[in-house]
Order: sequence, then C-alpha cells, then structure tokens
Amino acid sequence: MDFTNIDLDQLFGFGDDTNPLLMLIWILPIILFIFYGQRIQLQVTSGEIKKAIKKLDGYRTESRSELIDYIKKNMHPKEDPTKRIDRFLDYFTIMPVDMDPNGIVDKVRHTLRAREDYSRIHVKSISPDTDEVELSKIITLLEIATSLHMIYKVINHMYLTAKKQNNYPLILPLQMILPFIMEEAEAITKAIPAFKKGQPVGDGIGPMVVGKMMLDTKKETIAFQTVASETEFDGRKLTLLKAEGPGSTVGRPGDAVESLVSKNKPDIIIMVDAALKMEGEDSAITAQGFGAAIGGIGTERFQIEEIATKNNIPIFAIVIKQSVKEAITLMTKEIANQADNVRNQIHEMIQENTKPGQHVLLIGVGNTIGVPQ
Amino acid sequence: MMFSKEKTVVEYTIEKCKSCNLERKRKFKDGDYLFRETSKCESCDGLMQIEKIFGETIDQ
Repeated sequence: MDFTNIDLDQLFGFGDDTNPLLMLIWILPIILFIFYGQRIQLQVTSGEIKKAIKKLDGYRTESRSELIDYIKKNMHPKEDPTKRIDRFLDYFTIMPVDMDPNGIVDKVRHTLRAREDYSRIHVKSISPDTDEVELSKIITLLEIATSLHMIYKVINHMYLTAKKQNNYPLILPLQMILPFIMEEAEAITKAIPAFKKGQPVGDGIGPMVVGKMMLDTKKETIAFQTVASETEFDGRKLTLLKAEGPGSTVGRPGDAVESLVSKNKPDIIIMVDAALKMEGEDSAITAQGFGAAIGGIGTERFQIEEIATKNNIPIFAIVIKQSVKEAITLMTKEIANQADNVRNQIHEMIQENTKPGQHVLLIGVGNTIGVPQ
Repeated sequence: MMFSKEKTVVEYTIEKCKSCNLERKRKFKDGDYLFRETSKCESCDGLMQIEKIFGETIDQ
C-alpha cells in the first residue's frame, strides 16, 4: 500500500456533503456539548479552584502554627494553648438584624466591641502577665488566623456545594471572586512577619506623621488605647490624636473625638489616613479632600461624622494611597518617604483654612504597630 | 510562574541624629520601633533616633 499518496479529501469526504463519517465528526461534539457542556466546564473550573483552595488551606495552617509558636515563645503559657486557640479560630460574629436600620450603628458597635473585649480577656487568660503591647500583637495575629480560617471554610463550602449538586452556574460566582480573595488572603498571610516583629505597616503612615508631632508633648489617654496631646503651630492650638503605640491597635478615635469636642470644640478636624489606591494609580501618592478619612466597618466614621455635623465642624482629609498588601505589610520605602511631605501638607492646610488663635484637631488614623508617640 | 524572579523584602532602619541631622541606614534589628533613641551620633555626640523603618523589595 502506498501511504505517501493518501488523499485527505477522499478519506474524510470533504468534497461530499453526505459522508456519514464527516457528519459524525461534526455532530457528535455538538451533541456532547449540548448535554454535557456544563459538566465539562465544571471539571475544568474545578481543577483551578481546587488548586486555589489548597493554597488557602496552606495559608490558614501557616497562620495557625505561627500564632501558636508565637504564643508559646512570648507568653510562656503553663499549659499547651493549642486547644484554646483552635476554639478562638471558630469564633463567629452575628451581625444585628437590619430590617429596621434605626439604631443599627450602635448595635454593630456594641457587638464588635464585645467581641474585641472578650477576645482580649480570653487571650490574656492564657498568661495573665503578658504586657499590653505583646497582647495587642497576639490579638492581631489571632485576627489574621481567624480571617484566613473563615476564608478557607467559606470558599471550600461554595466549591463543595457546586460539586455536590453538579451545578456549573453555582461555581461561576466563585470563579469570578476567587482572584480577589486569593490576593487578599496572600496579603493577610504576608502581614504576619511585620506584626510579629512589631514593624510599622503601610496603614501606620497616619499615626507615624502625627506620632512624630506628639514627641516631647504631654500625652493623655483620652479613650481606650487612644492618646491625645496639645501643641501649637503658627499661632493655632493643635490637639493631636492617635492610637496608643507601639502596640498593634487602631484605638477608638470615635470615642476620643466625642470626648475632646465636648471639652473644647475645635474649629476644624484634619484626618490623615492610608487609602486604597485604584488600579493604575502609583503607590504612595497623596491626595487631599473633605470628609472623615477612616476605614473599618463604619462605626467610628459614623460617630465622627455625627459629632462634626452636630457641632458644625468641617473635616479635611489627607490620604496616602497604597494597595491592600502594602497597607497591612511592612511599610514600603516610598510610603515612609512621604511622612515629611504629609507633615508639610498638614501645615499648609492649617494655614489656609484657619486663622491664628483657632483650634485644630489633627487625627492620625490607622494601625499604630511599631509607632509610638 | 516559571520565569518570574522571586522577590525578597529586606528590612531597613533609618536613624537620624537629633542635633546634626546625620542619617544612617542599617538592617532592621528586633526591638527597633520608630522614634526610639538608639545610640550616640558619630559626628556630633548627639542622640540618634529611629526616623523610618521600611522594606525594600529586591529580585533574586
């Protein structure tokens, strides 16, 4: 037989529309995709999601063991803390009912503060002699481990439900959100070393700027884990406010503003905070604006806005743009180099918006790990 | 990624003299935190204070 002289047209019958072999080649895949298309897509997508879930499992295991090792090394507990830590990891928070939104902010604040307070008491009970700075680091590491644990559980649940039901549309939202979740989970995992070593993170740029201005002034604890002090600039009275460093805390700026305003009403409030940059924006650029620059679930912002509105105090904001990862990991050189520039902007803002003799409340918002005052 | 370089973050501490503003860059040491007075200045005998702590990313 001469294999060098095969006519493909003849073999597959390309020239002949009625060739049954050709019809099968075209029609079979169409039928296959009509009936089993979603299952095939489910299998392909499942592979990618499985890999991501394996990574998430790695992150949560790593954060848990880092936390337990850190507690054993720094708290010197009498008993093995593993069982208690595993119980803390499964703590959950039930948010208040929002069918009637009236008064919901107070309810959310109450629930979250109860969680914070009781977590602190329970962690401290592992070794009551632990100092406050060390305790704040451990609580942050616990929050990191809890977040990664929860992310893994939710993503795994969504994946297994879709697989169990053999339901491709159910896996689509998961496929869409997974890259964002992975980015966040990776950033959270990479935050661990900075908090263990007590290094300033990108979010700490606000406290860093205000903390330096507070050096050599008389500090006063004005709210839980929040300090204030007074100084002067160009004939204006400055009240400086930040979370109490160098522990890992954001303080309670809402309560602090309420207390300060009730004693001595400022003419303006300036808030300095880190803000999430948009895709395409350079990191560590600064921007000025109006309104309360403070993140979190919204309770602190609500409290500050309410006080400012009641007392007719304008709020100015300076933000330092950065990514999620930069905000929670060791501060980058670019962000650290902005500190002097931000301080100059604060001074300009004060001169442009107030007259000598007036009173300015300056708040450095953010996690103050590694940043004292 | 097969061809992407692994990135490492090197931690640095910047110390600045409170008197003559001389700056010195060194590797981060455990126990460093901002505004801590660390040592005496080599040029004027003033006090060195930690001014910045940051990470620099290098490709390996």
